[in-house]
Amino acid sequence: MIQEDKTKSKIQLFTGSRDEVNMAEWKRLPAHDENFTEPSGLDRRDALKIMGASAALAVGIPGCKRKPVRYIVARNEMPEYQEPGKVLEYSSTWTDGDFPYGMIVKVVDGRPIKIEGNPDHPVNGESTNAQMQASTLSLYDPDRMKEPSIGGSVADWKKADAQVVQAIKGAGSVVLMTKSTLGPSEREWVEHFLKAKPGAKHFVYESVHDTNRRNAWKKVFGKDGELIADYSKAKIILSVGCDFLGTEPLSVEATRQFAQGRRALDDGTDVKMNRLYVAEAGMSVTGSNADHRIRIKPSEMLKLVHGLRYALGGQMQKLTEFVEANHLDRKVFEALAEDLSANRGKCLVVAGQEMPESVHAAVALLNNDLGNFEKASKVFRWNPLASRLSVSDTEEIKSTLQAGVDVLICMGVNPVYDWPGGGFKTLLAKAKTSVGHGLYANETVSECTVGLPSSHNLESWNDAVARMGVLSICQPVIRPLWKSRQEAESLMLWTQQISDDAKLKGFKDWHDVIKKNWITKLYPGVKNGKIKWQDGLRSGVSVSTTFPLRAKLDTDKALELASQAMPEGGAFEVVVLPDAGVHDGRFANLSWLQECPDPVTRLVWDNAAMISPKTAISLQVSEGNLDQGDVVGDVLDVSVNGQIVKLPVLIQPGIADNVIVTTQGYGRTKVGRVGNDKGKNVSVLVSGNGGWIQTSAKVSKAAERYPLVKTQKYFKLEDDKMDHDEFRHIAIDGTLSEYKKDPGFAKHRYHIPKQVDIYNSPYDYTKGYKWEMHIDMNKCTGCHACVTACQAENNIPVVGKDECANGREMHWMRIDRYHTFDPSDTEEANPTVHQQPMLCQQCDNAPCENVCPVNATSHSPEGLNDMTYNRCVGTRYCANNCPYKVRRFNFYEYHDRNEAALINKKQLPQFNPQVTVRMRGVMEKCSFCVQRINTGKYHATNQGRDVLDGEIKTACQQVCPSNAIVFGNINGKGADGTGVSQVRKFKDAKLSYNVLEELNVKPGIAYGAKVRNPHPDLAKAVPAHHNHHGSSGSDGTHNHDHAHGDHG
Amino acid sequence: MSDSVLVEESEKERQDARKEEIATRRERMGAKEATCLDPPQLFEEGETLRSIDEAVFKPVESFPKFKWYVMFAISSACMGLFFFCFAYTIVEGIGVWGNNNPVGWGWAIVNFVFWIGIGHAGTLISAILFLMRQKWRTAICRFAEAMTIFAVICALQFPLIHTGRPWLAWYWLIPAPNQNNIWVNFRSPLLWDVFAVSTYFMISLMFWYSGLIPDLASLRDRAKNGWRKLIYGILSLGWSGSNRAWRHYEKGYLLFAGLATPLVLSVHSVVSFDFATAVIPGWHTTIFPPYFVAGAVFSGFAMVSTVIIILRHQFNLQHLIRDVHLELMNKVIIVTSLIVGYAYSMELFIAWYSGAMYERYVFMNRVMGPFAWAYWSMVICNVVIPQLLWIKKFRTSVLLMYPIVLLVNVGMWFERFVIISTSLHRDFLPSSWDYFKPTWVDVGLFVGSMGLFFTLTLLFVRFLPSIATSEMKAVMPGAQPTHHGGKH
Repeated sequence: MIQEDKTKSKIQLFTGSRDEVNMAEWKRLPAHDENFTEPSGLDRRDALKIMGASAALAVGIPGCKRKPVRYIVARNEMPEYQEPGKVLEYSSTWTDGDFPYGMIVKVVDGRPIKIEGNPDHPVNGESTNAQMQASTLSLYDPDRMKEPSIGGSVADWKKADAQVVQAIKGAGSVVLMTKSTLGPSEREWVEHFLKAKPGAKHFVYESVHDTNRRNAWKKVFGKDGELIADYSKAKIILSVGCDFLGTEPLSVEATRQFAQGRRALDDGTDVKMNRLYVAEAGMSVTGSNADHRIRIKPSEMLKLVHGLRYALGGQMQKLTEFVEANHLDRKVFEALAEDLSANRGKCLVVAGQEMPESVHAAVALLNNDLGNFEKASKVFRWNPLASRLSVSDTEEIKSTLQAGVDVLICMGVNPVYDWPGGGFKTLLAKAKTSVGHGLYANETVSECTVGLPSSHNLESWNDAVARMGVLSICQPVIRPLWKSRQEAESLMLWTQQISDDAKLKGFKDWHDVIKKNWITKLYPGVKNGKIKWQDGLRSGVSVSTTFPLRAKLDTDKALELASQAMPEGGAFEVVVLPDAGVHDGRFANLSWLQECPDPVTRLVWDNAAMISPKTAISLQVSEGNLDQGDVVGDVLDVSVNGQIVKLPVLIQPGIADNVIVTTQGYGRTKVGRVGNDKGKNVSVLVSGNGGWIQTSAKVSKAAERYPLVKTQKYFKLEDDKMDHDEFRHIAIDGTLSEYKKDPGFAKHRYHIPKQVDIYNSPYDYTKGYKWEMHIDMNKCTGCHACVTACQAENNIPVVGKDECANGREMHWMRIDRYHTFDPSDTEEANPTVHQQPMLCQQCDNAPCENVCPVNATSHSPEGLNDMTYNRCVGTRYCANNCPYKVRRFNFYEYHDRNEAALINKKQLPQFNPQVTVRMRGVMEKCSFCVQRINTGKYHATNQGRDVLDGEIKTACQQVCPSNAIVFGNINGKGADGTGVSQVRKFKDAKLSYNVLEELNVKPGIAYGAKVRNPHPDLAKAVPAHHNHHGSSGSDGTHNHDHAHGDHG
Repeated sequence: MSDSVLVEESEKERQDARKEEIATRRERMGAKEATCLDPPQLFEEGETLRSIDEAVFKPVESFPKFKWYVMFAISSACMGLFFFCFAYTIVEGIGVWGNNNPVGWGWAIVNFVFWIGIGHAGTLISAILFLMRQKWRTAICRFAEAMTIFAVICALQFPLIHTGRPWLAWYWLIPAPNQNNIWVNFRSPLLWDVFAVSTYFMISLMFWYSGLIPDLASLRDRAKNGWRKLIYGILSLGWSGSNRAWRHYEKGYLLFAGLATPLVLSVHSVVSFDFATAVIPGWHTTIFPPYFVAGAVFSGFAMVSTVIIILRHQFNLQHLIRDVHLELMNKVIIVTSLIVGYAYSMELFIAWYSGAMYERYVFMNRVMGPFAWAYWSMVICNVVIPQLLWIKKFRTSVLLMYPIVLLVNVGMWFERFVIISTSLHRDFLPSSWDYFKPTWVDVGLFVGSMGLFFTLTLLFVRFLPSIATSEMKAVMPGAQPTHHGGKH
């Protein structure tokens, strides 16, 4: 087929030998032109060598011959064993984001195509978040800045360097602004720079940071560092506006640890689950997973924490007053107070990075009261070496710049776009020479007199510290695609030129620095440093056990800080949060993240003013009429300190009334064709350092209207108007006490009539390989990492906002979100949230298979519902007949169309060569990563054995931070060769059920029903739909007298 | 212009004279008012073999009027729109339609089923009514058959372009050996569709053509122009009108009628299997085959009326296609309307009675949901309004019945739309629920297919006899031996 041929042509044969790798060693190749061809200016000898080594690579694709410029060592196999099409894995570190997670880069024929988590990395392990997955996409982003510019016109590095160095040398005042996630070597060289240039100042700048918390901790613990919570050790967790499962920097680790406390399925009925209380203004991923959720205005947070402290100290009265003043449920607070006091040392109270210092101090006091800092408690550790630097005071930066500086260097920061309150442009203009160093010619870089392109994470050497004792290396897996240079190397080169220190001049390049630092810092005195270095490159991370450390709270200081009252709330309060997809805007040009549905709202391509249903009524605003397919809704004028932002309305149950929640990272103007002019820039709503909470905002309905697109439009398991008492048993949940009483409660919720087949399967699925999956909804938090991982693995196109509005998004895997409400909650204010990953169920009696007239979808002997793309003519009958609606149709040539596809097309080098690229008019869907299954089988067959349990992992399973997805051979043995496979064990668990089992389609995916753990006194109030129990029968006692589940 | 005015005036004079003549003859023969027990009066008194020929062949043998050109211009412009949208869809992809993820089938399949349904009347009239010796069919059978052919031609456009890759679909759906070594899937109702519809089209075409042969020969014999003679001569396959030829012809015709009769029932039953065999609530219904067939007959008769009323007016064929024919067709419309109405109510009843949650919801959603407007349009057009035809005045007055049959066409289009869209847009998982909105291409294809249909119809009435003269003559009073002295 046409598409397949296209893909094939991209897979260049690699015939290079070891020479090919060494080639880079003899000559650092400086510049490359746009067509990715080799640079000119080589001498004849070099040119011949290159030709000899890479004759077959002469055409087309960048990756094929762009070996990194220094020795790098493959994780498993040396590059000399590289075979065409073979996947090589390199360990590296994700330095693009807000936390340096360890990663493994899969490289095929020199092209990085996929990111996985580094299993050796103690923080994230094999998991990643969605943004890490998009790293490969940003690498190949054609909108990246490609060459240096001086005064807006193209220049070469020599000239640019000369200009910068000259400016620094002649400058009286130099300001260096960097991001907060600098690695140890970078931090060291910033010091070198400051030493070499007396009078220079270094400011750390971020628009999303945890400095409020860090500053508070510094004050109350008396030292710089951070507290690291271990959620797996806590019985009771109280989040004070802390989205630790979502946008907080350590969410991947926190999700894994939190899920360990929700192992209903693994541990049977004697399970001891944690209980999560979340007090928040917005609706976060963490709030979605709460057992008890408290909707509260942000201005009341401090009072809440203090109220709890009093209550634990026996003064219930203060808490009661607070509860009544805020019209909250007293019972929840009583339960919370009881739970906390009953679990001293085993509970966790965490506050979000948006909270002011006083709340953090109060939370520290509360934790201290609860004994969580004591030695016996394992919930907190003190980490003196934080991965992120504290950001500088924006007022200080402002006054420094206002005084006029000679040179301003912005490295990897974009203050012109996201300066709190806006207006950095005028400050920037005050600098005589401004230098912008960035991945994109963004808002800041394009304003600077010298603009310098930064190399990508995957093109750079670096080191990173995740926390004390966890040091990792970032190694390049491809030579820079454009004439870019990593920021650290620029800093190094400039420092060398302005410094008199001969030691500094000894470093050839940044690789040298990293290597020397790695060896000398980690292995001082070791002779065979080079081997240690290679080991480091292989595993990507060095872990030493210097933990656990503890910190002692200075209660006086904490009390003092905690007594700084938060400003009283006005009529409306505004909370600005980092975006789950584009974060602070740095990922705005990555279409995968733009189109990855927001984990809470399912919004794509935009940010919005999220408000509660009640607030919407009082403001007389509404979303578009989705019943009639209309996505155009009202817009709000949100005004803070005289700055107005027009934000479209998104009504999200669960948000506190009269609070507007919005996200940063949108409204970029100079990031690229994908991200430009998407959403609204809300940085003007932020004030100063960490002022994300605005307690007195003015909000009014604007005259215009705006389309907001959500990939899911209906969030209830019943239609209010028409379902009456019928409740769809799709995402099933129950309480822990119910589970203990009846472990199989999920199957007893619905009735299955006697099931009869008229076709007999030609295959015997009780023998050999039969691939099945189990998804545990107890563990799934709905973080959406799997959605992007699937997109990266399976060459899934992005369709753009308009096509999403048409209901044509292509994700093979989606996460369905449902809300249920307590019957007493008539306003639908506080939902119980169900997150249900939904993908092809690989039905054994698949309704899609028998309706395809051309046999393009058929069942494999291993139980897979296979798609033969080449045979598909696109009748869409299969999609119609799919009860789960997981089939996706290529309505257009999405890889070749519209703004987002611009990127899709350029993304060709990222394509996974093992997966067919589907053309227009073809149906596609989840294949259980059949390419991975086959690779695993070949591997096992070569070794003359069966595939081991857990050996093959689907992309979604591998990336899942909570290990909610288990995949394997239902007939297989356990990983140790005995017993049954994990997937069999989980599917046989009583908690497991199949979605729409009554249809007799025999799905290959089972779900573990969600067990909620409300406080026993409140258990009745939580799952709203329990009164629908057994709706298919009249008596509601459906448990034993009817046959259930297992027949068929 | 003055010429045409003159022509019309002389035409009027001629008609007046004719009416006068008929009135005097009727008086002379002492004709009495027909009662309902009498067989329908198919001919006006004074109709002769020659007068039938004259009336039927006139449009074919004279240049068309200005009105014909106007209508042809409009129709062919619409047809042009159709082929533009057709090409646009193939160049750009199905994305130019309103289809989305839950609603994988949209107007294309609605139009397909709509046109196939319309194509039912022809064969029913030709074959089933022929076998039942319903003599009144002779006046409308030729036109109805032609309409069948054109409707099926319109219908056949849609399954092809509605596929994502029509350049492959057109032959991969045929069980022919191919390089992929993949055979078609005989379990798929879509494949049954391919067989059912193509068979139906072939048989209908042959049936129609064989019926045409004696008339084509008449045209040949009457032709004065050499080219005309040649073309009609070739088309009439050397028809001599001999006794032997007639004997074979009538045998063959009878056989075709026998062959076509089960097809009338099978085609739409098979089309209904597309839905009935699916798991989707609202589709998964055993009532579909008879319900679809009745609906098809319903819409087919409505469409025949819709067009034939204009046709007979334009070509002055009121004396051959008489009000009594229209009345008889209206009776069929009432019957089928009741069947369809029964089916609608039975669907609702079973949905309630079954206790199946999803089934129940789909029907509640049809009646009250976002597409309720379509559902109620369907019910009003198909069930409520046709009941007016119980009143004799509505059955017999062209002005009163015309809006009704037009609305039946509208209603039957909505029926298919309701079945397809409302079932798909909200099925099992609420997470996938969405809405369906057509685009201009959807509208263009539908309006364009009307253009295609009417263009073919206009060409047909211009070049071929739209009434089967030979069959008409055969049922004329006195044409057959009877016990009632020639006046049966």
